Parts: sequence; structure tokens; C-alpha cells
Amino acid sequence: MKTEHADVIIVGAGIVGNAAAYYLTKAGMKCIVLEEEMIGHGGSSRNGGGVRQSGRDPREFALAAYAAKHIWPTLSEELGVDVEYRQTGYLVFGYNEEHDKSIASRIETAASFGVYMEMKHGDEIKEICPYVSEHVTCAGWTPSDGVANPMRATLGYYIRARELGARFITGEKAIKINKIKGAARQVVTARGNVYEGDKIIVAAGYHGKFLLETVGIVVPMQKKLNEMLVTEPAPRLFDYMIGGMSGFYGQQTKHGSLVFGCPSGREYTFHELQTPISTSVTASFICESLGIDLPILKQLKVVRAWSGWVDISLDGVPVIGAVEEVPGLLVAIASTGHGFGPGPAVGYTLAQLAMDQPSPVDITKLHFDRFDYGKKQPRYFSASGGGALTR
Amino acid sequence: MKRYDLIVIGAGPAGLSAAIEAAKCGMQVGVFDENARPGGQLFKQIHKFFGSKEHKAKIRGFQIGYELLEEAKKWQVDVHLNAVVMGIYEPLRITVTEEDYITSYAGDNIVIATGASENMVPYDGWTLPGVIGAGAAQTLMNLHGVLPGKRVLMVGSGNVGLVVSFQLLQAGCEVAAVIDAAPRIGGYGVHAAKVARTGVPFYLSHTIVKAEGNGKVEKVTIAQVDDHWQVVKGTEKELEVDTICMAVGLSPMSQLARLAGCQMKENGGLVPVCDAYGQTSLEGVFAAGDVAGIEEASSAMIGGKIAALGAAKRSGFLTEAEAEEKYKAYQASLMQLRRGMFSHENKGRTDLVKTDEGYPLSMSLLQKGYLDDAEVEQFPGVGTKKYIGIHPVIECTQNIPCNPCQDACHFGCIQVGNEITALPQVVQGSHCTNCGLCVASCSGQAIFLVDESSEPGFATITIPYEFLPLPQSGDKGMALDRGGAPLCEAEVVRVRTSPAFDHTALLTMRVPQEMSQKARFFRRREVVQ
Amino acid sequence: MAEYLDRSKDIGPYVPQEDDDRIVCRCEEITKGEIRQAVHMGLWTMTEVKRMLRCGMGLCQGQTCTKNIKRIIAAELQVSPAQLEEPTVRPPVRPVEMGVFGNEVESL
Repeated sequence: MKTEHADVIIVGAGIVGNAAAYYLTKAGMKCIVLEEEMIGHGGSSRNGGGVRQSGRDPREFALAAYAAKHIWPTLSEELGVDVEYRQTGYLVFGYNEEHDKSIASRIETAASFGVYMEMKHGDEIKEICPYVSEHVTCAGWTPSDGVANPMRATLGYYIRARELGARFITGEKAIKINKIKGAARQVVTARGNVYEGDKIIVAAGYHGKFLLETVGIVVPMQKKLNEMLVTEPAPRLFDYMIGGMSGFYGQQTKHGSLVFGCPSGREYTFHELQTPISTSVTASFICESLGIDLPILKQLKVVRAWSGWVDISLDGVPVIGAVEEVPGLLVAIASTGHGFGPGPAVGYTLAQLAMDQPSPVDITKLHFDRFDYGKKQPRYFSASGGGALTR
Repeated sequence: MKRYDLIVIGAGPAGLSAAIEAAKCGMQVGVFDENARPGGQLFKQIHKFFGSKEHKAKIRGFQIGYELLEEAKKWQVDVHLNAVVMGIYEPLRITVTEEDYITSYAGDNIVIATGASENMVPYDGWTLPGVIGAGAAQTLMNLHGVLPGKRVLMVGSGNVGLVVSFQLLQAGCEVAAVIDAAPRIGGYGVHAAKVARTGVPFYLSHTIVKAEGNGKVEKVTIAQVDDHWQVVKGTEKELEVDTICMAVGLSPMSQLARLAGCQMKENGGLVPVCDAYGQTSLEGVFAAGDVAGIEEASSAMIGGKIAALGAAKRSGFLTEAEAEEKYKAYQASLMQLRRGMFSHENKGRTDLVKTDEGYPLSMSLLQKGYLDDAEVEQFPGVGTKKYIGIHPVIECTQNIPCNPCQDACHFGCIQVGNEITALPQVVQGSHCTNCGLCVASCSGQAIFLVDESSEPGFATITIPYEFLPLPQSGDKGMALDRGGAPLCEAEVVRVRTSPAFDHTALLTMRVPQEMSQKARFFRRREVVQ
Repeated sequence: MAEYLDRSKDIGPYVPQEDDDRIVCRCEEITKGEIRQAVHMGLWTMTEVKRMLRCGMGLCQGQTCTKNIKRIIAAELQVSPAQLEEPTVRPPVRPVEMGVFGNEVESL
């Protein structure tokens, strides 16, 4: 057992933790990042790589837009690692009038944040994506959205942060936060080591829920299995992100392979699993859903499917920011399956807050205490986070 | 969902044996294999197997394949072919690709018998077309009737490298050399000897430096390595070959076991940790054959049967006592195969200098692939005694698990004893009738019939011969020595074939008498048109 | 939980080797040098190297190259290859067309 010190202790080496470590060390701060598994073990490197603003809840829109505008375009140069970011747009398919309305409402939200999105019908869709079937009746098109490589982005932040002097320790599971004189100061790990700092950032996905509980903070979260798959490389079919109201989402990567995910709706029944292993159900569902909208993909070979836990917040948007009740504690959890695109901005925001600087955008609606007892709250019926679960 | 008492993944020797054994216990069994035909590697194995009768010794691998299929059919095992198991999922389910759909099957038990894949070592030029696995070469030749190349370098002197080298020769390829980085030949001496006597050179302590060619392999450079596996500068040799066969070991194809969540350990690759019955850390999931640890097909077949017993016991098709009894018999049979200088614990040892009986091992055989003339006589199958009349000469000098020669001779000339790894000896005072069954039954082609007294000044030597076209009586040519060097003029005096010989022809050649303990192969004089 | 690994431990500098240009992963055409450099960037697990470079991510899913990649990474980290955990096996264990994968039927 040993005690080590740094200015900031970060729990979780995902995209948020790594980005925060990078921005902090770049500003001259000393950081220690603790990770239970390996770098980018969780959702950060298991997702579809969408850098999407459209379709987001107004409460988190600004973070996504900040990342898309101010961070992603120059990230590869900044990190010296090609994160394969391409601002190539996002096309979302709808199949009926209800979807038409839903896309129209997304367009309104986007416009209110200054992001241009437009409605497409029939041949207009085919002009963008000639491969769509008749099943697709309407589509929303957001040219300023894009895609990146989640694995390279997450590892890229790590590589640069480590090079700048951030200390990363993997296989070190944080189990407790200790307060000293009323402020969060220490992180205790399962191995009995203690890491002490002026600030503690918790960016540990679902596990963060338990860590916060050790200082009495309750964030209502669920975890859900999500699955994705990747095909062999194909000649360039499209360069933009594609999503469907049937729930699928994904991209053709720079490498040429197609990476797609789609909840089958059965994932809630897989809770008992200890590790997020793939099932035979979801991958098949992804293939079927894609085949309906984009029949050309049927001939491509799937080489790999994987799964991961999604940390779902009760109201579908993450919990991000300072926990004022526990001075020194900062948090970014419950990203609800859409935290990758805004991830760099979230990491940057936490780094700013840890240095007592203002947040670059308004995050007050993502505050941890919005679920507090006695708060007037909407009725939460569904916390799926994904699209509609219709087959 | 269709449910089986036992699902077997892989229809190779282990899988089919497991399926048959389980079906015999009354279990409903489904076997799934990704290939169009069952049998796994068996249908590529055109050589005769080692072991004893119960291990199907002296039967050619592909015939064992047919026997197993016949038995599986008899016991009403469902064999699903072109059925690719994509994954094992909780609780004991497999998802399978069949035709143009996927479907899932449930099993009360699953035996994973997915076999192994070939290792590769990278060197400059290893990605050139023409660099292939030895197993791939075997598939091309023996399953598809396609020659892998004209002139081949074999890298690796384990049994796979040796057996495939011989098959390449049989198929009409030229084998430029067999090389191995190790200082000793890794496979059975008898396998090496039958390659060496055709004139193929062995380079031990040699590695491949680079392969070169314009879009395909045209040339290869090999060189000697020192004790630290580093290339000794100045020892490079260039060989003109169009094919490089890599026989550098196998890795268990244990992905399904890992996917299922079995606890794994390192054993030439990751293999599942198994109990005595082959059950993995997951209850109801068993592993058998190469996927549980690389061995010969004979061992895999027993491993499959044992796993089936485990499943039958678990599901109440056998009582604890019934399973135990059968298990003991199979285990004893398995242990017979696991003895001798090629057993698991002796694998790769370079310090063995004596046989179990105390005979010094032939260093020439280990380093050059053939017995030195001076060493031959010390072995019990050869002997120093002067025989009158025809007698067998058994050049079997290493402790390998094999004894068909003992059963082949109805006149008691050959004795191995109860320990099947013992060296065969020619029984003093016994009388050889020249039936030739021992020659044909020897899976290592190490038995010769020698007669020094047939004609003054000459001797006849009967050798096993598995090349086409078969020479004919009266053909003239050269007798080659054990190392494949031309020795003397020889004339074929008899060529015998018989169903009992199972495609091993017995070629009798006439050589000068002093060559009787030297000449071991015949090369026909090329007819010049 | 993974093995404890302090990523600031000194593993020495990256020293170019004669055979750095040699392809190790055939499917994705990844060289020994690229793998060695990745280790020196801080990617100390087989999975991290795989995720960065794609080695072992091709059609064969690492069947051919995993052993060799393991050896290279282990040598760079100065540990025994057996100490390195291989990347998780992912289904399907053989590539399968999306059209087939999406066509799920009940077994009877």
C-alpha cells in the first residue's frame, strides 16, 4: 500500500478521462489516471464512431456542437495520431410519417443551436445515398456531422497525455473516494493503494455510480448491453454516418470496413451476464435491419461482433460537471450510449473545471442533482437511449 | 429449438469418435463441421497409422475416416456438413451458418473438437505466393489432386514435415531439402529415413533467411544457426524452389472455447483447462483432440471417446461406475501412445542419447535422417548374427508407439512385447517364409527382407515401395543407400502387390552381396527415347 | 481486473531493427516495426496494439499472426509472451455474409 500524489486524480481511461488528462497535462498540471482494465476498455472504443450533433437532446447539444466545431477538425494534428475524423455528414433514415415528424423536430432543435439539417424524400435521399431501398421514405441530412475512429481517438489522447507526463496506471480499480476536511481528496483502489489530489474526476462509466455512492452521491443509472459488428473492407460506398429509425447506426470506416450497431430490444434481458459478451441475437438483428435499408451490404462478410455496457441515465442525457456538495469532485458519467462524439469536449470541460476555469459551454442542465429527491421531475417511462425498438 | 444430448463441433478423428461413443451410450448426437466432407485431417492422411491394432495401426488415415463415417451412420449420428459454428453462447447453445441462413441448436453437452491450424514464421518474402503450410500442400495434393509446386523446400522436420515431404515425392514433386532450426530431426526417425533414402538432404540447425522471386517464390536462401538461433554469416545457401512448405508446428483452434468462456492455459497456444474426462471449466463443455493439446490423430480418437464418456456420465446415460470402467480402458490405451521418446514430456529434448532398452540412439538418424551403416547392426531388429536364407531386417531404432509388425508375422519372427514403444526384435531361431506382410505392415517402411544366400555373389533385398509407376520385374537401375546416394547396379527381380499389403508394393531387387546391408532404395534407370 | 501496469515504467527507447519492415499481419499488412513503435507509444497490451494498428483484425482474425505479434510485444516489454493476454475472441469465428447472418431461422 502506498500513497501517491498529483494535482488531479482521474478515474477511467476512456475518451473523457484520457482527454481530460491530455488537456490538464498540456496546461502543466500533474495527473494520475487510474483504470481498472486497459486503456479504452469500455464504450469509448466499442462504439460506432459517430461525431453527431443532430438528433441530440437540447441539454447536451452544445457539448456535441463544441466538439464538432472546435476539437474534432484539428484533433489528428494536435495529437499526432490520425483519429480518422471526417466531417462528411450524417444521414438518418425514416420509414413512416411518424419518423417524418421526428426528423422535422430534430431539424428544429439543430437550427436553434445554429446547426443546419435538412429533410430529404425519395430521389433526394438517393442523391446522397444511392443504395437505399424503398423501405426508406424520408431522411434527415446533417452535413456538419461526421465520423471518427473511436479506438484511435481514445488511444491517441492517451498516447499524447502520457508523452506529456500524465501517469496512467491500468489494472488499478478505484473502489472508494475519501473526503478530507469535507473535500474529496483521495481515491482508494482494490489493491489498497491511495491516490491523493486536489481534484478528482470520475469518468468511469457505470462503475462511476458505485464510486460516487461512497461519498453519498446517487446518480440513477442502468447498464445495458449493446452490440456492434464490423465487416471485411469494401470499396468506398459512403463516407458519412448512417442511422436508421429502426435503431441502427454506423459508418464505413476509413479502412473500408463497415461498423454498425443496433439494439435488438432484448438487451435488457442480458443483465445477469458478468462480462459484456456478444449474443447470437443482436448481431443477426443488426444484419437484418441493415439488409432491409441497404441491401447492397448483404454480400459483405461480417468478421467480428462485440458488445459493451452502456451506462444509461434515467433521463437519457449524461451527468457532467462539478459535484458542489462534495468539493473537489468532478464527474462525467451516464453517457447513455452517445458519449463518444462529445467526449473530447467533455474531457476539455472537466479539465477546465479542474483548473477552476469556466466551462466552454453551458452544462447546467446536465447537473448531477437534477434527480434529487423532492425535485420536480418528468415521468420517465423509457430509458432506452437507442432508437425505437421496432423491427 | 432443436436440442441434442450432445453437440460435437468438428467431424475430425476426435469429433467423430466422440459422437460414435456417445451414440453407443444412447445419446442423440449432432456433429457440425464447416467442411463439405467430414473426417477432418483424416482424408488427407494417405500414410499408414502407427500404434497398435486398437489404435487402428497400419490402416491408412483416410480409410480410418471412412470407417468412422460408416460407424457414425450406423449409430444414427446427425452429421451436419457445410455447417459453420459461429459461436457458442449461454446456455450451451451454438449458432451455425448453414446454406444461406443461420440457426441455433441447444445441447445438453458440447464437445469442442475443432482441431488445429498451422503456424507461420515471418521472414523476408514469406508473403510471396508459393509459401504455404505443409498441411495446405497436403490438402492440395490429396484432396484436390493439385500439385503444390515442382520443387519444394520443406521447413520443419517434425512428423508433419516428414510425412508431407514423402507425400510430395509420391505426388511427383522434387523436395529440394528438409530444413529445421533445431539440431535434431523432430519427427520419427523412420519417417525421416524413408525421405532420406530417396536422396532428399536434411539440413539441421538451419533456418530460412529469405524467399525471393518475381511475384512468386523462385529462390530461397537458407543458413545455419548457432545455439542462440542466430544466423551464422557465411553459411548461406541458395536453393531454387518454387514452393516453400512451412511445417513449423500447429496451434490449437480454441477460439470457440475462449468465446464460450472456458478457462484457458498455454500449451503450444491457448487450450482449455480440462479435467480427466476433457470437461472444461464450464460444466457440460468438453474439449477433445488437437484443440485440447496437439497430438497425433490416434490420441485424438481416444480423447474424443473419453469426452463422450464424460458427457454420457454427466447426463445419466452411463452410471458413474460404467463410465469409470470404460474410462480406465481408454486411458490405458491412450497412455500406451503417450510413451517413448516422442511423448509429450520428451518433446524437443536434445539430451536423449539412449533408447529405453539402453541402445545408443543413432545420431546420424537424428541429424541426417538416416542410419549410419556402422550403427545399424547394434539394433535388435537388425542384429549381427549371420542368417542363412531370407530374414527380416527391421531398421526401427527409436521408441515409438507401434507394433503391427509383431502381429503381421504369423511365424513369430518379430517381437515387440507388451510395451508398444519397445524396439522390435527378430526372434532367434525363427523361420521367415518371405510372405512380406511385415514389410507392408510397417507404417514407418522400416522393414526389409534380405537374402544373402539366394545366388553366389548376390543378395536380394525386398523393400516397401509406394511410388508410381511401379517398376517391373527385369527393370534395371541403381540401388541407393540409406542416404539416397547411388550405390550399385540393381535389377528388379520381383514386384508384389496384394490387397493384404494395402497399396504398399514389395519390390525385390538383386544387388551384389556386399551391398545387402547398404542398399535400401531402388531408382529405375530413366529410359532414353 | 487487469494486471497492475504502471505505464510510466521505463522500457527503454525504440531502437530500429533490421527486420522492422517485415510484414507480420498479412491481412492488414502491419509490419514488425509498426508494432514495436506502438509499444513504445505506450500501447502495452495486445488489444491496445490491435486497436491502434488493426493487426489481427483482418479476415483471418489473427489466426496466423497472433503468436508472432505476442512475441514481438513481449520482447519489447521484456516479459515472457505467456504473460500477455490475447485479445478477446469475437464471434463469428468464421466470416459470414450479412445477408446470411441476418437470415435467422428456427432449428427443428
